[in-house]
Amino acid sequence: MALVGNIKDFGLSDFLYLVDRGYKTGGLHLSHEQETALLFFDKGKLIMAARKPEDQQADLLVRLGLLNGDQLDQARQSLSTQGNGATLTQVIVDSQIASREQIQSVLQGFTEESVYGLFGWPEGEFRFEQNQRPAPDAPVVPIPISVDHLIMEGVRRIDEWGRIKDRIPSTDMIVRFLEQPDERAKGVKLAPEEWRIFARINGKDTLAEIARKTSLSEFDVCRIVYGFLTAGLVEVRKKPPVAVGRSAADAPRVKKSLVNRIINRIKGM
Amino acid sequence: MQTVKMVISGAVNAGKTEFIKAISEIEVVSTERRATDDTKMIKKETTVAMDFGRIAIADDLVLHLFGTPGQKRFDFMWEILSEGMLGLVILVDSTRPETFRETNRIIDFFVSYRDTSYVIAANKQDRPNAWSPDELRLALRQPPHVKVLPCVASDRDSVKNVLLELLYVIQERSEE
Ligand SMILES: Nc1nc2c(ncn2[C@@H]2O[C@H](COP(=O)(O)OP(=O)(O)O)[C@@H](O)[C@H]2O)c(=O)[nH]1
Ligand SMILES: [Mg+2]
Repeated sequence: MALVGNIKDFGLSDFLYLVDRGYKTGGLHLSHEQETALLFFDKGKLIMAARKPEDQQADLLVRLGLLNGDQLDQARQSLSTQGNGATLTQVIVDSQIASREQIQSVLQGFTEESVYGLFGWPEGEFRFEQNQRPAPDAPVVPIPISVDHLIMEGVRRIDEWGRIKDRIPSTDMIVRFLEQPDERAKGVKLAPEEWRIFARINGKDTLAEIARKTSLSEFDVCRIVYGFLTAGLVEVRKKPPVAVGRSAADAPRVKKSLVNRIINRIKGM
Repeated sequence: MQTVKMVISGAVNAGKTEFIKAISEIEVVSTERRATDDTKMIKKETTVAMDFGRIAIADDLVLHLFGTPGQKRFDFMWEILSEGMLGLVILVDSTRPETFRETNRIIDFFVSYRDTSYVIAANKQDRPNAWSPDELRLALRQPPHVKVLPCVASDRDSVKNVLLELLYVIQERSEE
């Protein structure tokens, strides 16, 4: 079944997070006014991104200067003799028409740039077709691309408060690392400014305090922390109310016998 | 007579009225409230339904179910409703991602200061294009220990199941 929505309501970075953590395979179709885009994911990783229909075609490899027309024909021919599951780029690598590194670097650059452009869309319908796969001769990257740094890059391009405010309603909130820091936290590449903030996260300071200590603007701090949030690295919490807070936070405990009575009653309904 | 209460919350149209109706032993009472709609900068009278349902547990014990009005401006009612509640069901319309942010705000409201027992019900699972509970967990950024349950609010067994799962969470945290 398809997941449908609008990136105005459920942002592209949020979607990338979902694809990543949900190990999704499928095609994400996006449209905004006259523009369309198609992204393919394999087990949570990006394998292709096309902003124009012709970018879904094998010819893209020729246009990017990775091979010439004859080589493409040759690769296509050997692809047709291969069984299910073979991809054109794999055939090219196997038959040494071009090196894996070369294809990866050029196609990855192209794919990432295609996605970055999408972060500028203020809105756009999306439809994710689960388990849809690109055509066998589509120009997919040989090594699937992890979406973490795409998420951070997307957030780097946010230039208005609106979206940030949804997740960070005030600069009085405290930032802390998630209790089970993910393995992936190590893989995320951060810009120097982002590192400065990352290093300041201590579970005690508010966003406003971090801004003061780093001499960055509150907007920049919130934007960057929003990125960490979106990538699933940290959480933000309201500052617990002082002193009286304790008793309010500890909800009165209920008796197990009471709960059991309700359970039995509802079971019997 | 002891009464305990559970709160059913969620964005507008999530299925709160339907949910309470499916399980309540009395006709669901919707208290109409007059309010001024200033969210759209239009000064216009609107009425807000707050649902109320009831299940008798025994002669000396009854369970009340309260549905919250979804709109943000009724925060003050939420505050009152949530006092002393046993637990909370957050309903989500699984077919409408445009309500996920609002849902997060609601969760945040109820859960951030208090230590509320809650479950999330991924409602309208009978509809095409419903996001699955697993997808909703990711979309709403809920940690693994929070239950995200499939739900069809018009189906009594499904509603029963959600309430029972919530009660198991409460049971875990109750004292002998
Ligand atoms: N298909 C389907 N429709 C539902 C379900 N739950 C609620 N609805 C419908 O969704 C609409 C909104 O439900 P309602 O209970 O009034 O939402 P509320 O605003 O949260 O009280 C109504 O038309 C319901 O009939 C469900 O599980 N499946
Ligand atoms: Mg209602």
